[in-house]
Amino acid sequence: MAGLLDRERTIARPGFNRWLVPPAALAIHLSIGQAYAYSVFKLPLTRVLGITEPAAGDWTQKQLQWIFTLFFVVLGLSAALFGRWLERVGPRKAGVVAAFCWGGGYMISALGVHLHSIWLLYLGNGVIGGTGLGLGYISPVSTLIKWFPDRRGMATGMAIMGFGGGAMIGAPLADALMKHYASATSVGVWQTFVTMGGIYFVAMLCGAFGYRLPPPGWKPFGWTAPVRQRAMITLRNVHVDRAIRTPQFWLLWLVLCMNVSAGIGVLEQASPMIQEVFSGAVSASAAAGFVGLLSLFNIGGRIFWASLSDYLGRKRTYLAFFSLGFLLYAAVPFAGKIGSVPLFVAIFCVILTMYGGGFATIPAYLADMFGTQYVGAIHGRLLTAWSTAGVLGPVLVNYIRQYQIDRGVPPADAYNVTMYVLAGLLVVGFLSNLAVKPVAERHYLAETEPAGGSGPAGRGAPQGA
Amino acid sequence: MQQTEDAQARPGQWLLVAVAWTLVGVPLLWGVFMTFQKAMLLFK
Repeated sequence: MAGLLDRERTIARPGFNRWLVPPAALAIHLSIGQAYAYSVFKLPLTRVLGITEPAAGDWTQKQLQWIFTLFFVVLGLSAALFGRWLERVGPRKAGVVAAFCWGGGYMISALGVHLHSIWLLYLGNGVIGGTGLGLGYISPVSTLIKWFPDRRGMATGMAIMGFGGGAMIGAPLADALMKHYASATSVGVWQTFVTMGGIYFVAMLCGAFGYRLPPPGWKPFGWTAPVRQRAMITLRNVHVDRAIRTPQFWLLWLVLCMNVSAGIGVLEQASPMIQEVFSGAVSASAAAGFVGLLSLFNIGGRIFWASLSDYLGRKRTYLAFFSLGFLLYAAVPFAGKIGSVPLFVAIFCVILTMYGGGFATIPAYLADMFGTQYVGAIHGRLLTAWSTAGVLGPVLVNYIRQYQIDRGVPPADAYNVTMYVLAGLLVVGFLSNLAVKPVAERHYLAETEPAGGSGPAGRGAPQGA
Repeated sequence: MQQTEDAQARPGQWLLVAVAWTLVGVPLLWGVFMTFQKAMLLFK
């Protein structure tokens, strides 16, 4: 079994079609993307004992919120910790471990629901599942970049689009399964966890075994690397340990953190926000429709902006996110003031495309700056920005809103200051992105330098990229 | 490192590509459709 997972066994044979790799990556990302839809379990989990309504001893929403927080904190930590290991052992072994963690996490949580132990849920879904989330998220990134040196943005955009799409599949699937399993004595959650854990485990294993690395020196048929080197795209490589000591890494960390903080804050508060801003004009079901619409634009933006970045360049793409985003966030209070629901919705739809686009474009930006050899590991470490944003964004939105309401501001206007603060975050992102310059010569690995102790990592790196 | 031009993908592989994309595309499109239906509530 060990041999089957070895990096050497994943090297593609001549004639392999590179378009087989994105569906393998999608199988993994569509599975782990369910994390975004975890809220679908929230209410049923508060009625595990009471069944029809919460009873004494049932879990509270506050207790359950920790699972969601753990997902994204552990995601960032595991991606940062295991990124280098992934580069060494290859994507297949990482994908298989991710499948065991993600699927196994659901099984442990099912036991937790059955025994009514919140700690088993924290361990299963939060810690073990979160580890699978991080590993699964970064597992295809460097492989895709190596297969698509001509369209790095589009390739990673396709996979990361799957992460957004995973919630779209996971939410209705979980809902249908819980309805199917619900009975007079059970809310059907633990059975749903077992079923979904099994489905995701199989899907992720299929994805992991579908991963192939390009052979050394491979390049797409008929493609030649640009003769004139572009300043913001390197042909060389920076070691992961070296990369995190460069200002470029931390500037890009800020770029991702600011972009995600602004978007995630809005996404988390979207439903109550539209109902409060347009009090009486937008019902709860229409607000749910608003959230659904934002999800569609979120995943659409992932493939659209990441593909566009192949032509615009990564730096210009982020400049567009931050400048357009600034104008749009600043325009939200105006849309609320004139009572225009269509304008309000349109603004947030565009904002959400850029939120998704920010996630999908960052791996290609990293590959441009630091080379393809360690991009998976570097990307893993950069994802700590996501963990930070996952806490910062919602906290900012909720606390500023509450502060405004406590000061007597009507709920309809309570988000105005928040929007200006989020626009301010985008200014920080804009300036950080503007400061990104090519990496200093001294940070690059010498042509003759070995892969820095990471074993065979990079043997499949396309030198023509 | 020497660059090697890869031969074009084997014709049979395109069938595999179609199958693989269908396997991930169908659930994704189902999810998009379900979300689209939900999103329509906003316009009712």
